[in-house]
Amino acid sequence: MDYASDNSSLLKSLQMVRVPDTELSPEHEAVAEIVQRALTGDSLAFEQLIARYERRVMTVSLRILGTREDAHDAAQEVFLRVFKYLHRLDPRKPIEPWLMRITINVCRDIGRKRKHHQSSCPDFTEVDSIAMARSAQSCQDPHEGLAEQQQRNLVRQALDCLSEGERIAIVLRDVEGLPTSEVAEILQAPEATVRSRISRGRLKLKEAVDRLSRRTL
Amino acid sequence: MNCTFQRDLLALHVSQDLTPRDSRIVADHIQQCGECRDFLDQLCSHQSDLRSFRVDAVQTSDFSAVRHAVLTQIRNSNTSWRWLRIERFLLLGFRRRAFAFASVAVAAIVSATLFAGMRQPAPKVPESSAVFAAKDTLMLPDNYRNWVLLGNSTATSSGSPHSTNPARARNVYMDRRGYREFTRTGTMPEGAVLVLELINGPGQHPAALEASVKDSRFKGGWGFFDFSGADGGIQSQATAMPDNNTCRTCHEKRAPFDHVFTTVQEILKTAANSGENSPRSTFGKC
Repeated sequence: MDYASDNSSLLKSLQMVRVPDTELSPEHEAVAEIVQRALTGDSLAFEQLIARYERRVMTVSLRILGTREDAHDAAQEVFLRVFKYLHRLDPRKPIEPWLMRITINVCRDIGRKRKHHQSSCPDFTEVDSIAMARSAQSCQDPHEGLAEQQQRNLVRQALDCLSEGERIAIVLRDVEGLPTSEVAEILQAPEATVRSRISRGRLKLKEAVDRLSRRTL
Repeated sequence: MNCTFQRDLLALHVSQDLTPRDSRIVADHIQQCGECRDFLDQLCSHQSDLRSFRVDAVQTSDFSAVRHAVLTQIRNSNTSWRWLRIERFLLLGFRRRAFAFASVAVAAIVSATLFAGMRQPAPKVPESSAVFAAKDTLMLPDNYRNWVLLGNSTATSSGSPHSTNPARARNVYMDRRGYREFTRTGTMPEGAVLVLELINGPGQHPAALEASVKDSRFKGGWGFFDFSGADGGIQSQATAMPDNNTCRTCHEKRAPFDHVFTTVQEILKTAANSGENSPRSTFGKC
């Protein structure tokens, strides 16, 4: 078998293949249409864009940065950057990874400036009091609710004990529920690296929860 | 823990992030090892806690505050939209070679024009002489006698609304900018002001003063103002006359050229043809 000629014919046939246009989901098409309108100067369309993604941006920012004030600042900065660089967004691609990448970059910038999370496990914050109140409302048995709240608080505090890279990976993968491939795309890192970061993060998180729960007993 | 099984595999097993082979290894192991099964249960419990953060963390008031702050900042920098569009156009344009050349050519032309403009500044065009105190209230042009005197006459005809007193002298002035523009283009420019004053005798204060302003906000493109006060004096400002006022209707019906009577028009046209700067021709009745 003439491998060289076979290989060249394969290359030719590959060159002839036309890459089909990616089919867009209705959701993606709706967002693309809003983006297009926002690009023509329609401020209402930009407001729609904010309304669509503000929860996600705020949640991620809050979990990475730890305080509501920082999350506010981060969300503001994220949407201002979105406004500034919206024209660079490829309309054929979904907006979420791009938006998350901006969110992560903004959180990193703010985190670096404020140095809140440098190898320290902060105490309870106001975020947890809201979550605790909600959890208590939704739980029938007050004792069970209290234990649940306590457990969630420990997990939240443990999350703050992780390094920035591990925390970001855990927030995107476990809090936001994004697939590992998407997390890798957002972080612009190989999937294997992200998987290792997630694994390490989960183990450290468990260790920290155990340590914190021993301290509270 | 006594079991030496790889913990990182357990950590990835909770979210099905393992290859089928590794997943099978973990599944086989946890069936036999209670310690690892407990470890895995705890990891799963943490997963559930982490997932709950997605809904609990943020309040609705946070969103409105952020949205308001962002939109306010954007509205305060309206110019950003324009830059954004230019940037987008250039960015998209440079993807094609033809656009790239065209953009470079446009940039070169704009630069050359700006450079030429810097070397030879354009003559400053003064703004309109019509100063409005309010939307339809014109201030009395205090220096109108320094304007171009289009003509003077003694009004004798009872047919003209401006010649109620036959003994009065009648002077018509036009603002210099309007006059210059008219002699250049042959049309009345926006903002041109014509002032008609009636004087009882030489050196006296005007007994009546009216003005017309070329202004597209008014009906027919002209606003008419009467500064003559009820006490016989001249007021410092005047409100636009109503649309059905005789001044306007007469100018509309009888003036053949843009509300300007033939005599004034002819003087202006003569000035335009001869390049005259200050006509002091006498004009007749309108």
